[in-house]
Amino acid sequence: MQSSAGTEPDKRAYLDVVGVGKAFKGTTVMSDMDFRVARGELVSLLGPSGCGKTTLLRIIAGLTSADAGDILLDGRAITRVPAHRRNISVVFQSYALFPHLTVAENVAFGLRARHVPKGDIAPKVSEALQLVRMSDFADRPVAALSGGQQQRVAVARVLVVDPVLLLLDEPFSALDRKLRETMQVELKSLLRDRNMTAIFVTHDQEEAMGVSDRIAVMNAGRIEQFATPSELYARPQSAFVMDFVGLSTRMRGRVKQVEGDVMQIDTASGMVRAPGALGIGTDVTIGIRPELIQQGAGENTITVTLADAMVLGAKTQLHGVSHAAEDRLLCEVPGIQTGMDRGQDVSFGWSVKDTLVYEAAH
Amino acid sequence: MRRLDHIGLLALPGLSFLAVIFALPLLLLLLKSFQIDGQFSLEEYRLFFSDEYNMSVLWRTLRVAALTTLLALVIAYPTAIAMSRANGIWLSIFLVAMVLPMSVGVVVKAFAWSIIFRTRGVLNDLLMSLGITEAPIRMLFTETALIIGAANVFLPFMVLPIYAVLRQMDSRLPEAAASLGATPVFRFVNVTLPLSLPGVVAGCAFVFSLAVSMYVIPSLIVGERQQTLSMLTARSFLFLRNEALGATISSILLIIAVSVVLGSSWLANRLGARS
Repeated sequence: MQSSAGTEPDKRAYLDVVGVGKAFKGTTVMSDMDFRVARGELVSLLGPSGCGKTTLLRIIAGLTSADAGDILLDGRAITRVPAHRRNISVVFQSYALFPHLTVAENVAFGLRARHVPKGDIAPKVSEALQLVRMSDFADRPVAALSGGQQQRVAVARVLVVDPVLLLLDEPFSALDRKLRETMQVELKSLLRDRNMTAIFVTHDQEEAMGVSDRIAVMNAGRIEQFATPSELYARPQSAFVMDFVGLSTRMRGRVKQVEGDVMQIDTASGMVRAPGALGIGTDVTIGIRPELIQQGAGENTITVTLADAMVLGAKTQLHGVSHAAEDRLLCEVPGIQTGMDRGQDVSFGWSVKDTLVYEAAH
Repeated sequence: MRRLDHIGLLALPGLSFLAVIFALPLLLLLLKSFQIDGQFSLEEYRLFFSDEYNMSVLWRTLRVAALTTLLALVIAYPTAIAMSRANGIWLSIFLVAMVLPMSVGVVVKAFAWSIIFRTRGVLNDLLMSLGITEAPIRMLFTETALIIGAANVFLPFMVLPIYAVLRQMDSRLPEAAASLGATPVFRFVNVTLPLSLPGVVAGCAFVFSLAVSMYVIPSLIVGERQQTLSMLTARSFLFLRNEALGATISSILLIIAVSVVLGSSWLANRLGARS
């Protein structure tokens, strides 16, 4: 597995979505969408519902036609190739198992559709079921399975046909939290072992960070940022990405003064220094990751009244409300912090370099 | 259990109504068919089945019902698929087109067909003006005309159950099949068709039951020339004054209807058990 290093554009594209546009009944869902995935990469399309991520997935699968643009797979245009000849398989949110068939018959479906000789089907099916640890359920009707088992069958059903690209639409959303985490780890290693190229569609940022090499954060039919999980978290390119990926404290302010590459920003809760050189008078949104805020004074300091101290096991989350304004600040400290009282005054401090600044949208 | 009994009471008015108005007369009719001079006897049935004419009527009735069901199915299935994919105004148009004709009396519809089929009727005029035929073809009073007319009248009873099943089907299923490499034909044969079978069974049961016992449509389209079981029943009661024969034929019709209902629900259960 190659390491994926951010958004470098020279990466040879395996899947290349070029200038794709789509409108439903006059409403533009996306326009001029570009999106590239390298061979063997696990990528997530992350965004709120209605951002166009599922539409993009369906266009790649050939289940929805694009109004404009091209889809290239391994250099070959497949834009007008029907879904059943693309060899791109989809795992649906509902799994879409065939209710009238048994587990084994579901897995065999793609092989039968491809006219694989009868004698070769059974061994392939049992191998695929073994892979997802569902061999004991081969002859059960799928309706008798639990959500996790259904998902395993859905995965076996697509892996057995050895697709050139695997698309997964919210594959974990129907599972409870614990099972979801187990299945994410399992599925990721299964896909890695087979060097499968896969695209996950999800609205869950933790899931996206857990399963993918790179994440494309989508908003209103556009990709806001396409980067590795760590880059996305550390250097979100927009306030939307910052908000959507991980928790953060947000404040509004206006640039008061610029000294070299440090700005003085006037907020309702006091002066905040941040890196950058936007014009004086620019309205901005400031963000700080909660784990980068410490108790006590720092390069930036805001005094807050403690509204809540939530012990979350490995860390304690402190919710503060600033004195001067009603800005809510979030601070995460490692370990279990006791002896913090609500209503107590504390100082939150953080470094200038950890302050994220975005021009406010008007 | 007590609660269930209370709720069961709600069915009482309907049950007693059916018992007095429907079940009791039916029972008397059944009894009559098994009696001669107050004694239990199968003689009426022996007489009925040994009569060649009666057998030809029975056979024609079953054949017409089966062909009507088949024709209705062939027309209804694509219609139901189109309806299951339609939305908004188109779906409303389809549903109205299905349901509205049901409010037109069957006599009116049968007459309409006789206008189309008669010697100097709409269809013959059309065929002759197109030069397809020189002399009018005799269509009215034929079995073909009867089957076409009956299939038309009973069509909604075939379309609606199939439509209901297809509408319920997860639209992701054919898509999943496509993404697994299945061609449209393979998808239809292996996904859509098997999943729609319960609707097909229900629709066939409805139409066959209706067609086997129809009276007005054959009376108006084929007339006395070719009798069916229900016309024979009416004739035995009204003209021949042979109540025993009428009761026997009614009972045979009842047995056919009951076996269709039981057979179709058994089939639907078997199909349903898998999914």
